[in-house]
Amino acid sequence: MSLPTLDFSLILPELVVLITALLVLIADLLWPRAASRGREQAPAVLALAGLILAGLLTLLAGEWSGATLQGMLVADALARYLNLVVLLAAALGLLLSWSYLPHFSTQRSEYYALYLLAVAGMLFLGKSIELITLFVSLEILSIALYVLTGFHRGQLAGGEAALKYFLLGAFSSGFLLYGAALFYAATGATRLADIAAQNAGGFYMLAGLALFLVGLGFKLAVAPFHMWAPDAYQGAPTPVTAFMSVGTKAAALVALFRVVQAAGSVPVGVWATALAFLSLLTMTLGNLAALRQSSLKRMLAYSSIAHAGYLLVGVVAGTAAGFDAVLFYLFAYAFMNIGAFAIASLLERPGFYAVQDAGIHAADGLFGRRPWLAVAMAMFMLSLAGIPPLAGFFGKLYLFAAAVESGWAWLAVAGVLNSVISAYYYLRVVVGMFMAEPSASAHLRLPLPASATLAVALTALGTLLFGLLATPWFQGISR
Amino acid sequence: MDLTTFPLLSLILWLPVLGALALFLFADARSIRVTALVVTLLDFAASLLLLPRWTPDGSMHYQEVLAWAAGLDFRYHLGVDGISLWLVLLTTLLGPIVVLFSWRNVTENVRSFFFLLLIQQAGMLGVFLSLDLILFFIFWEFTLIPMYFLIGQWGSGRRVYAATKFFLYTMAGSALMLVVILLLYFQTGSFNWLTLKEAGLDRTLQFWGFLTFALAFAIKVPMFPFHTWLPDAHVEAPTAGSVILAGVLLKMGVYGFLRFCLPLFPQATAIFLPWIAGLAIVGILYGSLTALVQKDVKSLVAYSSIAHLGFVMLGVASMNEQGLSGAVLQSVNHGLSTGALFLMVGMIYDRRHTRLLAEFGGLWRQMPVYSALFMVVVMASVGLPGLNGFVGEFTILLGAFRVNPLWAALGTLGVILAAWYLLAAVRGLLHGPLDNPANQHLADLDRREVLVLAPLVLLFFLIGLFPALFFDKITPAVELLLRDVGPVIGR
Amino acid sequence: MPLLFAALALIALVGAAGVLLSRNPVYSALSLLLNFVAFAVMYVMLSAQFLGVVQIIVYAGAIVVLFLFVVMLIGGNLPALGRGRRAYVRAAGVILAALFLLALLFGLARPLPNGLAAVGAPDGGSVQALGLALYVDHIVPFELASILLLTAMLGGIVLARRYQAPPKD
Repeated sequence: MSLPTLDFSLILPELVVLITALLVLIADLLWPRAASRGREQAPAVLALAGLILAGLLTLLAGEWSGATLQGMLVADALARYLNLVVLLAAALGLLLSWSYLPHFSTQRSEYYALYLLAVAGMLFLGKSIELITLFVSLEILSIALYVLTGFHRGQLAGGEAALKYFLLGAFSSGFLLYGAALFYAATGATRLADIAAQNAGGFYMLAGLALFLVGLGFKLAVAPFHMWAPDAYQGAPTPVTAFMSVGTKAAALVALFRVVQAAGSVPVGVWATALAFLSLLTMTLGNLAALRQSSLKRMLAYSSIAHAGYLLVGVVAGTAAGFDAVLFYLFAYAFMNIGAFAIASLLERPGFYAVQDAGIHAADGLFGRRPWLAVAMAMFMLSLAGIPPLAGFFGKLYLFAAAVESGWAWLAVAGVLNSVISAYYYLRVVVGMFMAEPSASAHLRLPLPASATLAVALTALGTLLFGLLATPWFQGISR
Repeated sequence: MDLTTFPLLSLILWLPVLGALALFLFADARSIRVTALVVTLLDFAASLLLLPRWTPDGSMHYQEVLAWAAGLDFRYHLGVDGISLWLVLLTTLLGPIVVLFSWRNVTENVRSFFFLLLIQQAGMLGVFLSLDLILFFIFWEFTLIPMYFLIGQWGSGRRVYAATKFFLYTMAGSALMLVVILLLYFQTGSFNWLTLKEAGLDRTLQFWGFLTFALAFAIKVPMFPFHTWLPDAHVEAPTAGSVILAGVLLKMGVYGFLRFCLPLFPQATAIFLPWIAGLAIVGILYGSLTALVQKDVKSLVAYSSIAHLGFVMLGVASMNEQGLSGAVLQSVNHGLSTGALFLMVGMIYDRRHTRLLAEFGGLWRQMPVYSALFMVVVMASVGLPGLNGFVGEFTILLGAFRVNPLWAALGTLGVILAAWYLLAAVRGLLHGPLDNPANQHLADLDRREVLVLAPLVLLFFLIGLFPALFFDKITPAVELLLRDVGPVIGR
Repeated sequence: MPLLFAALALIALVGAAGVLLSRNPVYSALSLLLNFVAFAVMYVMLSAQFLGVVQIIVYAGAIVVLFLFVVMLIGGNLPALGRGRRAYVRAAGVILAALFLLALLFGLARPLPNGLAAVGAPDGGSVQALGLALYVDHIVPFELASILLLTAMLGGIVLARRYQAPPKD
C-alpha cells in the first residue's frame, strides 16, 4: 500500500497563500513590533506580496486544463478566473486595511493571517469538486470571516455583527452538510463527477439540492437568507466588508454552479425556477431596502444583496454563457464595489469628517474638497447602477443577455427595472457629493493614506476601462 | 486625404472626447475655454467635410465597422444618412455656440463644465451615428450623465430635483429597450441595424419592441403625457444645458422613432400610428396653452418646445414623404430657433438674474440690437414665411393633411397659438414703457453675444430661403425608409 | 454470535432503562456508560472497529466523564427529576417522541437509498479501511481540515485576548 502521489502544482497559488499566512504569523515573532516602528507594516507587506505572487502564478502557470487532484480539487478555467477575482478583491481589500487597521487594532499579524486564510478558503472552494472538500473549504473561509467581522473589538456593533454572522452562518452550514449527506445517500458518491454520472433522480437528490441552495444562499446573502448581511457588512471593519462582499460571493457562486451542474438529474426547470424567484426576490428586496438607509455602509450592504440577485441571473440561465457573464460581472463588481467601500472607509477615518460610521451625508460636498475622490465615487455609483460605458453596464448586459438567450426574458426585465430603482439611491450619494453643501464637520483636509488612494485609483480605472477593454476577451472563460 | 476610407465619423465622434481630455493640460480658465472652443470648431469643420462628397441616394455613408466584443456580437459600427446628417451638423454647430455663450457666465469649476459639455457632445453624436443597437444604447444612456451633472451643478433653484427627475425618468424609459434589443439579437443573430431592418420580425416581437422603444423615445421627445420632466429640467438647467437639451437631446427621441421604431417594427407602427398622431396633437395644444400662461420666459420656451416637438411627431405619424422630411427638417429648425430663444433668455438672465415677464418691458429702447434679434428668432419660431420654421411646419402640415385633414386643421390651430404666446413674450419683454428702474441701465449685446447668435440667424434665412439645399439630402433617405415600411402600413 | 449479540442488546437496554429510571443522576450517568460500552462491543462485532474505539474514547470516556464532572460540581442531591413539570411539556415530549419513532420506523421500513448500500460492506469500518479513506482517498479534505482547525484556533486566540485599543497619536 503506497501513499498517493499528489500533484501539488495544481494548487500552487493556494499553497502560496497558505504559506504566506503562516509566515505572517511568524513574522510577528521575528520582529516584535516594539522593536522598531518601521516594521509595523511587515505583516501587510508580506501578505500583499503573497497575494501578488499567487496572482502571478495563476496567470502564468500555463493552461488550466481541468486536471484534478484526486477528483477533489480541479484546476480548470472556472477556478482560474475565480482565483483572479478573489485575489484581486483580496489585494484591494488589503490595501484598504493597510491604513485602516492601525486605527482600531494592534493585532496585525493575526488580522492578516486570518485574512489570508479566508482567501485560501475561497480559492479552495472555487476548486472543490467534492462535497467534503467543498464543505471544509467553505468552513475555512467562514470561520476566518466570522472573526474578521468582529475584529474591531472596541466597538459593540462589530461584536454583534460577528455573533449574528456566526450563528446564522453555522446554521446555514448545517443545511449545506445535510444537503451533502442526502446527495451521498442518493448516489453513494461525494465527488461531483460521480454524482453526475450516477444520474440518480428522486426525492433525495431534490431535497439535497434544495438544502444546498439554502446553505449557499446564506453565504451569498440571497433573500430570504440575507438577514445577517446588513448587520455583518455594517459592523465589520470596512476593508473586510469590501473584501468579503466580493470574495465570498464569487467563491460561493462557483460552488453553486458546480453543484447544480452535478445535480443534472434534477430537472433544470425545477431548480432554475426556484433560483429565478430567489433572484427576483433578492434584487427587489435589496434595492427597496437600500432606498431607505441612512448609513452609507448599510446602503452598500443592501446594494450588495441586490447584486447577489443580479449574479444569480447568470446561474439561472444555466449555460456556459451565463456563467461567463457571472465571472465577468464579478470582475466588474470587484472594482466598483470595493471602490465604493474604499471611499466609505476613507470617509469614516477618525478625524476626517469626524463620522465614525459614515452616514449617507458623510460625502456631502466632497467634490469641493476632494474632486477626484468624488469623481471616483460617482463612477462607482453609476457603474453599480449599470450606466454605460462603465464596467457594471457591460456586466449586466452579459448577464441579462444570457438570461434572454435561455428564455428568461422576464427575469431580465426584472433586472433592468431593478437597476432603475437602484439608480435612485446611488444618485443620492452623487447628489450629496456634487450638489450639496459640505457637512458642518467637514473642516479637515487630512492627507489621504497612499495605500487607500492607490486602491481607489485602481478600482476607478478598472470601473472605467474594464467593461470597454475586456469585452473582446469575453467568451469561453468558464469552459 | 482619401475621404472614402478615412474614418471621418470616428474623427467627428471622438474629437470632443480628446478635447475633453486635453482640458486637463491647462490650469487657467482662459486656456480651458479657448481649448473647448477650438475643439468644438474643429469638430464642426470636420462634420462639414461630410457634405462635399455626399451622394444623395438615401443609403448609409461613411460606414465604419470594427468587431469589438466576444460572446455577444456587438460592434463599433457607425454610419450616417440623410436623416442623421443634419442632426449631426446641428449638434456640432451648437457645440461652439454654447461654449462661446458660456464664456463668461460660467465661473465655477470651469474645467468640469467644459469637460461635461464636450463629452455630452460626443455622446449625442454617438447616438446619431451608431448603427449597432448596443452601441446606440450605450451612447443613449451615456448622454444622461453629463446632462445630469450640468443641470445638478450649474442649474438654478430646484436643480437637484430637476436633475434627478431627468435622470430617473429617462433611464426608466429606456431600461426595457435593452431587453428588447437582446430579444432581437437572439432572434436574428445581429445587433446590426442594417440587418435587423431586413429581418422581418414576427408580430409579437414587433408589438413589444415598438412599445418599449417608443416609450424610451416618447419620454425623450417628450410626447404628452411623458413630458413632465422637461419643464423642470429646462427651467433649472444652465442656459448651455437648456440649449443642448432643447437643441439636440430632444431630437434624439425623434431620431429614435425614425431610425428604429418605424423601420424595425413596421407592422406595429401601423397599429400605433394613430395613437402617436393623437398624442402629438394633444402635445401641440397642451404645450401651446400651457405656454400662454407662463410668467417665466424660460418656462414659456420650455412649454413651447413640447408644442413644437408635437409638430415634429405629427410629421412622423403622417408617415409620408412630406411628413417625414418635414419632421427631420423641423427637428433641425427647432434646435436652431429654440436654441436661440434659450440663449437670448439666458442673456437677459445674466443681466438681471430674473426671467419673470412682469419684471421686464420696454427693452426695445434700451437694447435695440437684442430686441431686433429677438424679433427675428421669434418669427423663425412662429413660422414666418421666408424663415426656417415656416418651411418645416408647412411641409409637416402638408403631409398630415394628406393623411387626415383633421390632423392638419388641429396642427394649424397650434401654429396660431404659437404666434400668440411668442408674441406675448415679445410684448412682455420688448414693448411697453421702460418703467422698471432695474432695466434702465441694461447694456445691449456685446460682440461675443452677437457672434453667438449670428450663425443661427443666418441659418434661419438660409433654410427659409433655400430649403431645397436641405431637403435634397433628407428626401432620398426618407424615400428609402418609405419604400421598406410604406407597403406594410399601406401608405 | 447471535447469543452474544442478544446478551449485549440486553445489557444496552438495561443501561438505557437505568438512565431513565434512576432517581440519582450519578446512577443515570453510570447507566449511560454501561449502554455506551455495550454498543461499542457491538460495533466491533460488526467489524466497525474504529467506530467501536471512538465510542469508548469519546462517548464512554470523554462525554460521560464530563457528565459526571458536572453532576459532581452541582452536587449529588438534586431534586428528583420529572417532578413539577407542566402537563403540556410532558404532552409535547410524548408527541415528539412518538413522531420520532414513527419517522424511524418509516425510514427502516423503506429500502436504504442506493448510496448507503455501499457503506454496509464488510470491513468498511476497520481501522485499515478508515486509514485508507482518510489518508489516501480523502487526503485533500483531511489536510484542509487541518487548516480549518488552525483557522479556528487562531480565531479563538484573537477573540479570547483582552482588547487593547491602539495608542492614539
